Amino acid sequence: MTLALQASGITKRFPGVLANDQVDFDLAKGEIHALLGENGAGKSTLVNILYGLYQPDEGQVAINGQPTRVASPHDAIAQGIGMVHQHFMLVPPLTVVENIILGYESVTRGTKMFGQMSVLDRRTAAQHIRALSQQYGLEIDPDAYVRDLPVGAQQRVEIVKALYRQADILILDEPTAVLTPQEADDLFVIMRGLAQQGKSIIFITHKLREVFAVADRISVMRAGRMVGSAKPADATSESLAAMMVGRDVILQIDKAEAHPGQPVLRVENLSVMDDRHHVMVNGVSFEVCAGEILGVAGVQGNGQTELAEALTGLRRVADGKISILDHDVTHATPRQITEASVAHVPEDRQKHGLVLTFPVRDNLVLCSYYRTPYAHGVEIDYSRIEQTAADLIHTFDVRTPGMATAVGSLSGGNQQKVIVARELARPVKLVIASQPTRGLDVGSIEFIHQRIVQARDRGAAVLLISAELDEILSLSDRIAVMYKGRILDTLDAKSATRQICGMLMAGVVQY
Amino acid sequence: MKTETKRAVNAYTFSRIWNSAFLMPLLALLTALVLGALVIWVSSGSFLTVIDAYSGLVRGALFKERGLSESLVATIPYVLLSLAVAVGFKAGLFNIGVEGQFYIGAICAAWAGQVTDQLPAVIHLPFTLLSGALGGAIWAAVPGYLKARTGAHEVITTIMLNYVSFRFVEYAVSGPLRDLQSSAVQTPHVSASAELWSVAAIPERLQDPLNALAVAMCCGLVAFLVARVIRRRRERLALARPVTYTIGRGKPARAPSFFTRHSSLVAAVVTTALVFVALPVLVRLWWPFTDPYDRLHIGLLLALVAAVAIWWLLWKTTIGFELRTVGANPNAARYAGMNITRNVVLAMAISGALAGVAGTVEVLGVSICRCLPMFFSSGYGFDSIAIALLANNNPFGILGVSFLFGAMRNGADLMELNSGVSKYVISLIQALILLFTSAPVIMRWVFRVRVDRKAQEGPLTRGWGGSA
Ligand SMILES: Nc1ncnc2c1ncn2[C@@H]1O[C@H](COP(=O)(O)OP(=O)(O)OP(=O)(O)O)[C@@H](O)[C@H]1O
Ligand SMILES: [Mg+2]
Repeated sequence: MTLALQASGITKRFPGVLANDQVDFDLAKGEIHALLGENGAGKSTLVNILYGLYQPDEGQVAINGQPTRVASPHDAIAQGIGMVHQHFMLVPPLTVVENIILGYESVTRGTKMFGQMSVLDRRTAAQHIRALSQQYGLEIDPDAYVRDLPVGAQQRVEIVKALYRQADILILDEPTAVLTPQEADDLFVIMRGLAQQGKSIIFITHKLREVFAVADRISVMRAGRMVGSAKPADATSESLAAMMVGRDVILQIDKAEAHPGQPVLRVENLSVMDDRHHVMVNGVSFEVCAGEILGVAGVQGNGQTELAEALTGLRRVADGKISILDHDVTHATPRQITEASVAHVPEDRQKHGLVLTFPVRDNLVLCSYYRTPYAHGVEIDYSRIEQTAADLIHTFDVRTPGMATAVGSLSGGNQQKVIVARELARPVKLVIASQPTRGLDVGSIEFIHQRIVQARDRGAAVLLISAELDEILSLSDRIAVMYKGRILDTLDAKSATRQICGMLMAGVVQY
Repeated sequence: MKTETKRAVNAYTFSRIWNSAFLMPLLALLTALVLGALVIWVSSGSFLTVIDAYSGLVRGALFKERGLSESLVATIPYVLLSLAVAVGFKAGLFNIGVEGQFYIGAICAAWAGQVTDQLPAVIHLPFTLLSGALGGAIWAAVPGYLKARTGAHEVITTIMLNYVSFRFVEYAVSGPLRDLQSSAVQTPHVSASAELWSVAAIPERLQDPLNALAVAMCCGLVAFLVARVIRRRRERLALARPVTYTIGRGKPARAPSFFTRHSSLVAAVVTTALVFVALPVLVRLWWPFTDPYDRLHIGLLLALVAAVAIWWLLWKTTIGFELRTVGANPNAARYAGMNITRNVVLAMAISGALAGVAGTVEVLGVSICRCLPMFFSSGYGFDSIAIALLANNNPFGILGVSFLFGAMRNGADLMELNSGVSKYVISLIQALILLFTSAPVIMRWVFRVRVDRKAQEGPLTRGWGGSA
């Protein structure tokens, strides 16, 4: 067995953290090697080093048995390494083709004499990309604008981008975090195909189901160290979870019976359009009562995003009415809605949820910085903010070197925890949570789920929007299934099964 | 954490801060000076010229008669204008129009300064400063509003407004505001009550009790703020310390007296009274600045206060929190309930107000005629974009860099005289400094400074597609 890639003794320090501590890692040719680990364990750091984004403080890398140094991503690509990042690196106003060839543009023949001034050869590139996408079954439209694509399609663009640059080693950092289970399964088929053609894949994920579905080998990291390795056949979900977290994890939550009270959120005939003026939410009506969790299931792109944005004042309502505790908030601003005791965990953490360059501390009060006790008049009282921040960081187990660290330098999962901590810690009457556990490790998911149930038991109404059917099934008291902008049916959680929900999500009403 | 690791981490953090905040500008400055020396050497053919030029520069900027004063005089508008640029940058706006707002501030001040001579200085001077600030603020708020509402990019609109303001000032100076008593094309001399006091004139000015009272009250205000900061810090330390209770026969806790409870107020009143009584007498007995041609004026204090105030506004208030959030991530700002339009307009208005004050200061404190002449070309505005970038938009950094630029601007004349090297070499050096700071890649490559690619900061402002 030849090793496509071997890293030994990799150590990487960041201010206040030892992100990688003498990590050994190898990847065989044609292998899919899954990398597991808690949030902040150092997975992204390791693969970023392999891709040349970071330079290791210690350690060596060898590719195909040859010791080498990956000086930059450019260098990595030249050595046949491609990477799909945890947070996408696409340029939204450019087309798919332009994004893919960015930095590796081919030019039309005969214009070489102008050197850098030569004409972009989009057509050949587009043909090449079409061929690639057919060969690997990655459906994309080369001429679409990236900003118009749903996340699943953006994911495919990222993969094609790596393949276009002739990567033999493919690094996928949490590629399935933003995909629906269906899309994830499609991706696994693609990954299998790639592996059969001799490509080697490093696959980072938090979902144990996926590890068993696709990996040939599993390695687990904890607190910067490589703590173990296993074959899928020899491992169980429980053993892997315990290896990751260092304790036993309850994978199934148990919650008490709901005691619904008065309706808190009432939506009548709501219609919402997206930026391109397509009707995305089409005459939807529902109610969420105090003390209950209403789960909204559905394949992503069926209007859930727009629904959440309309409810929180981020998107204009085209038609219909929204009221919270009998106050009409149809055209209220985000501030007015927050003031009406509403918490919002946004779907896109880096776009809406966080200011990446700001310290963790400031991000933890992003929605309440102007209120007492954090501000007196216009003056901010940072000592109060620091107290709250210390408290939240401790309770929600945010792994950060300190509260003054820029939130952008935290690991993806810890960024998510900052948002959830901020929103769930406030005393609120309504929680609107979109994908609240996206990118979190099993231990953190367990904790966040407990907090959501606690919020419900304290009498808050919870609207849970999630692409994870398992999350919806285990948390919700009632389940609404969205399909093409409509709510097809609302089920009682006790009578709902995976099958029924799955069929509704595919638009099948007779069952 | 073990002390050992803690120390290592501290050292690491220190070196990172040093690297990110000071190393690059310093390297840029040095490299620019070396390249400037090379240019002088090559163009003059003698290395001695380089020494002549640079020694002339330093002497002119610091040591010749009134050299330091003149450097500070140039520093004042630099500070105000680069603060203006920095406020814009922090809110994600590239205010290229500070030069135009500077002109508008100047013309407003020229009008307000001469409109009456019946007012006492304590009213007329603030009124004139306010007019200049307001003029600049409104002038800048317009592109702010256009940006927020229509998406018209502020770079384009403020550049266009620059030309409008130049022409408008020309029209006003030669038309409605022209001083008919003078043969030169200029606005009337501002009233004595609106002049910014030159340092030499301070003892005389303070003999007016109203002026003395105003100065005393300003000192009192400073004392009040300082006392408050000290008290806050003490309270915070007390909070952090574990509480110890004395049980039994400890000393009975005395209720805090009036003076301890209102310590800041007491400090303010005492300072005001002392300054009011003592200062006029003291300055008459002894005052170091006696040169009547010394142009240094109290605008310097204004610039210092502005720097502290802007730092406070940006980092210690909800207003600054909102401005910075809108600048760093407008989507998150909207999510957090901030009003984007209001913040963009506000940022531009603050920026314009600072630029307007800079123009006012030039008219009231510096220009020989204490008026706005027809040919009032400054170039300060464009330099200050460079200063703000170089100082990384930090108000205190701006103080330092402004002095550097002011000193170079002032020393250039003696450099030319001393060595025959054209004073535009200074512009060349400044341009090189700017180039090297805005393209840190060059510096890193030259000096082999290693960085993690991901750690680099994003762009200061967003491009055309921005959704602000
Ligand atoms: N650019 C950076 N600057 C400073 N610290 C960083 C940086 N990148 C990562 N870290 C720190 O290194 C540690 C490991 O982060 P990493 O992103 O590798 O975690 P991860 O295993 O990918 O976690 P997740 O599952 O949440 O994505 C974290 O504690 C994080 O705060
Ligand atoms: Mg990660």
